[in-house]
Amino acid sequence: MTTFFDELHVLFPDLVRSVEETVPDQVVVLLNGPDVTAIVRHILTAHQGRIVTVFAEDRVNAEGVFYAYYVFDRPGDPSWVILKAPIPERFPCFTSLAAELPAINWQEREIQDWFGLEAVGHPNPRRVALHDNWPDVHPLRKSFPLDTVLPPFEGERHVYRPTYGEGVFQIPVGPVHAGIIEPGHFNFAVAGEPILYLQLRMFYTHKGTEKLFESLPIHRAVFLAESISGDSAFSHGSAFCQAVERAAEMEVPARAQFLRTILLELERIANHVADVGAIANDVGFVIANAHAGRVRELLLGLNETLTGSRVLRGMIAIGGVRRDWRPNQVEAIEKTLKVVEREFRDLVAILQSSDSTRDRLEHTGILRPEKALTLGIVGVAGRASGVDCDIRRDHPYEVYSQLLFKVPVYRAGDVRHRMQVRIDEVGESIQMIRAAVALLPDGPHRAPTQPIPPGRCALSAVEGWRGEIVHWVRTGEGNRIERCKVKDPSINNWPAIVEAVEGNIIADFPVINKSFNLSYSGTDR
Amino acid sequence: MMERIIESLAQLFLLLALAPLVTGVIRTLKARLQTRCGPGVFQPYRDLFKLFRKGMVIPETASWIFAATPWIVFFSTILAGLMIPMVAADAPLGLFGGVLAVIYLLGLGRFFLALSGLDTGSSFGGLGSSREMTISALAEPAMMLAIFTVAIGAGSTGLTEIAGAAIGQTWRFLAPAQMFAFAALALVLIAETGRIPVDNPATHLELTMIHEAMILEYSGPYLALVEWAASIKQLVLMTLLINCFWPVGLQPTWFGFGALIGIGWLLAKLLFLSCAIVLLETVNAKMRLFRVPELLAVAFTLGSLALVSTFLF
Repeated sequence: MTTFFDELHVLFPDLVRSVEETVPDQVVVLLNGPDVTAIVRHILTAHQGRIVTVFAEDRVNAEGVFYAYYVFDRPGDPSWVILKAPIPERFPCFTSLAAELPAINWQEREIQDWFGLEAVGHPNPRRVALHDNWPDVHPLRKSFPLDTVLPPFEGERHVYRPTYGEGVFQIPVGPVHAGIIEPGHFNFAVAGEPILYLQLRMFYTHKGTEKLFESLPIHRAVFLAESISGDSAFSHGSAFCQAVERAAEMEVPARAQFLRTILLELERIANHVADVGAIANDVGFVIANAHAGRVRELLLGLNETLTGSRVLRGMIAIGGVRRDWRPNQVEAIEKTLKVVEREFRDLVAILQSSDSTRDRLEHTGILRPEKALTLGIVGVAGRASGVDCDIRRDHPYEVYSQLLFKVPVYRAGDVRHRMQVRIDEVGESIQMIRAAVALLPDGPHRAPTQPIPPGRCALSAVEGWRGEIVHWVRTGEGNRIERCKVKDPSINNWPAIVEAVEGNIIADFPVINKSFNLSYSGTDR
Repeated sequence: MMERIIESLAQLFLLLALAPLVTGVIRTLKARLQTRCGPGVFQPYRDLFKLFRKGMVIPETASWIFAATPWIVFFSTILAGLMIPMVAADAPLGLFGGVLAVIYLLGLGRFFLALSGLDTGSSFGGLGSSREMTISALAEPAMMLAIFTVAIGAGSTGLTEIAGAAIGQTWRFLAPAQMFAFAALALVLIAETGRIPVDNPATHLELTMIHEAMILEYSGPYLALVEWAASIKQLVLMTLLINCFWPVGLQPTWFGFGALIGIGWLLAKLLFLSCAIVLLETVNAKMRLFRVPELLAVAFTLGSLALVSTFLF
């Protein structure tokens, strides 16, 4: 840390005010002004840094400024670098980096919409999180009361990029879709069947989650974190609890850490199995989906045995987990995993022996490794396109440092390899759970409740089944949260779909979309 | 004259009553192979009953074509169904037209369905119409070649004559021309009835649909007519296939005790063909849309080979 500190001080004496590491492995670099461009470039080039997230915080009442935070991950270094740039209230603007870092395109615009801080030089500064017909309000400012009632919306609708040319036309799909999925608008420009380009519009289910966090006591906020994205309830819940625990310097008992790890992996397996089936279903290979549904049901049943909830809700708690397991519950894990392992192997064999399925999945929806890297694609989609990053390995949390596992990485980037990453990860996760069960120590399952000290900040990242989930919290007075930033992997990965569908035929879009399987709710928050 | 009318009414009843059952059987068999229970073989009847009692939502942009199409499709399919031998070799309306009339009556229905898909102005309708037309333009020649092969054997394009010529010659099925023609027609059947690997009748993904995309805007009684017509068309094509190539059990007339035997054979053969379709649907994924022409090219090649081998062997 000292070397990194010295390096920044020598290179940018005027820009850096201080560097501190109040939470282990989180280096916070406080800057003098809002301009971060030079330092960001340095981190990107000299350290091959990867931007994880960018967000803002309203500290006008306390310190008279807004802060913009830039979080970086450096390969081979388990510590996060967090640039903290003050933005004066009188000049509410910051320099946009979206032109160089497309990964934060939407996140910078979120800051614009929610805080009213202008991203100067943004290549596409239009609204994203609050739709065009919203009145001119900035909900995440502290001066915006939560119970504000806005007048009925009227005003302009979003204008899509027009399409010209003979035989070229637009196909609007959504925002309401067939089937039980959430809303999102896809505007295809097609020349017959081939897709020329795709325009996305999200945030139809924007719920103001980050604002809601600021109104809840911490133990209630855990439930809110669980509901950010229903299929990642436990991952989001853990990310939030870890952030609070780190901020409060709370020690989580070893047994609780093991239980959490096992549940995180169970969540991953259940979702991956369902996705493998769903991908097959979207190419009309229904029998594989029927089998996957059966296997998933076994896993959901196990979830219920272990936590009382099929989707692992209500289990995570600040300082540990809510309930301990009896020995027969622990035995149920191995019993189920044995069946799941065998049945899943059969399912994979069925899939691999079906030529017609392989023909549909191979070379469909290719996301090239270079593109994946520039767009900052994370998780399953990233690993299928050569982006070798996995929070469990790079920034170990809970007990992942004690477990051995491989991170599958492919470079082909097509639908088939996104499925293959999932298949490989199911195998790895089953072994990890077995290892964790074998090592499971005795002891308390939850740290004694203690008041959370105010004014502490901490970041936490969890590798959800879809990709990296990041939560950043600042604690407030009276066991409350003052600010909670939530980053779901979906917000990184939507642009990947735009990239991957180009040149494919429109009939293949559903399966390409399914191979990413992103969360609308997690994106929109 | 009276006999003709009774025959027609009997076959009409058979078409209307049997078609939803065939659809139901195929769905149930599929569900069983997927380890599901399925809603039962009579579900299509319940669906039709439900749809006929419902109200309709008609798009503001729709013209008279939208309203006329369900009727045209329904009646043209019924008419085609009366021209094929189902139970008796002598088709009730066989005098009005042969196999060409059957093909083009079905073509008329398809033409109007495609028009109504465009008529609503919805993007999915246009998508479905263009796909349906692409596929049928390729399926039709293959179907013609296969049909001509059997017609040459019988010396007529009348289906009564074709079926009549086939009766009694049980082993004729193994002649190369017959086998090629059968294979070609079977592929066309899959494409025309919108089954996997060409189309997925059970999908909810509008962007992948072919037949379903054209009829997305239909609801209530109109939807019931279109759905009913689709299952009748499926029955007609299946019956055409089995009775042209495997006419065992086909009776000389509709009258007498023989009709029951004929119906029994028809049901048995339809069940057999349904099983084959279900098996094919279960072990295959849907083809990439642009591979479908390749499948139909195979059908066309088989049809050509069939025609050529008629003269060779």
